[in-house]
Amino acid sequence: MGNTKKIQEMLMNSIFDVFEKMFFVFLEPCDEEMKYDLAASIEFSGPVKGNLRAYLSTGIANSMVENMLGLETNEITDKTREDCAKEALNMIAGSFVHKLDAGKVFDLSIPAYEKKAGRFGMESPGNVNLLFDSDGMSLGVSMSFYTEGK
Amino acid sequence: MSFNVLIVDDSNAMRAVIKKVIGLSGFKMDSCLEAGNGREAMELLSDQWVDVIISDINMPEVNGLEFLDLLKENETLKEIPVIMITTEASEQRMQEAFDRGAKGFIKKPFLPEEIKRVLYEVIGVGSDGQYEEDTRDADEFDF
Repeated sequence: MGNTKKIQEMLMNSIFDVFEKMFFVFLEPCDEEMKYDLAASIEFSGPVKGNLRAYLSTGIANSMVENMLGLETNEITDKTREDCAKEALNMIAGSFVHKLDAGKVFDLSIPAYEKKAGRFGMESPGNVNLLFDSDGMSLGVSMSFYTEGK
Repeated sequence: MSFNVLIVDDSNAMRAVIKKVIGLSGFKMDSCLEAGNGREAMELLSDQWVDVIISDINMPEVNGLEFLDLLKENETLKEIPVIMITTEASEQRMQEAFDRGAKGFIKKPFLPEEIKRVLYEVIGVGSDGQYEEDTRDADEFDF
């Protein structure tokens, strides 16, 4: 996949758009390795195929739930965090493939979710890795393109 | 005049947001039904009437496009205007939805005013609450 810089820019703009419009969360790009508490993934297929993974700290997931659903902190559950993480990834993937080629049809899978902790950084596997900070809360996004045959 | 709305989306969060946004927008909503996919929506519609449907495309079991087909096959339900609300907004996908009977399209992420505008547009009601005749042809919709 050529032109990684342009792909990175399109993905970053999709992430900003979704987080600002739907979650009222304003992100700053950063490059420090992050600790995450939950992850979500989605696959896209069309002229190109690949997957997108999001790694979220509990803090940013809680902010997304509070802002999107108008819930108080004590009303937040694993399920609401899961719903928001999956919906965010769905919107980011849709926005990204639209930017990639608005004239072509892409299919998106139903997003998957895992509650697992780990570390994510620029050196993690993936064709494009992005890290963000929002008032000390972390988000990582990784995109991989599948090669022919997969 | 107020309206009954059905929101079809597999995401609880998105259904809650759409419902909240419709409420805040000033759109006159009487009741709001919710379904997690096209199959659940058809079950609800078997004994409840709605004035407008807002449906996602990418859903398990019966997706939004298949749901449009099911509505089209039903003499009564095919009259209900359907707005697709989706991340998959390629021109080809939108045309496919319009060809299957969708009357409006909202791309996620969306702004609240877009939902209100499209809702009134497809129902054919002006800001004065009166019905307006929709004289547009299918090719007049903007993509």
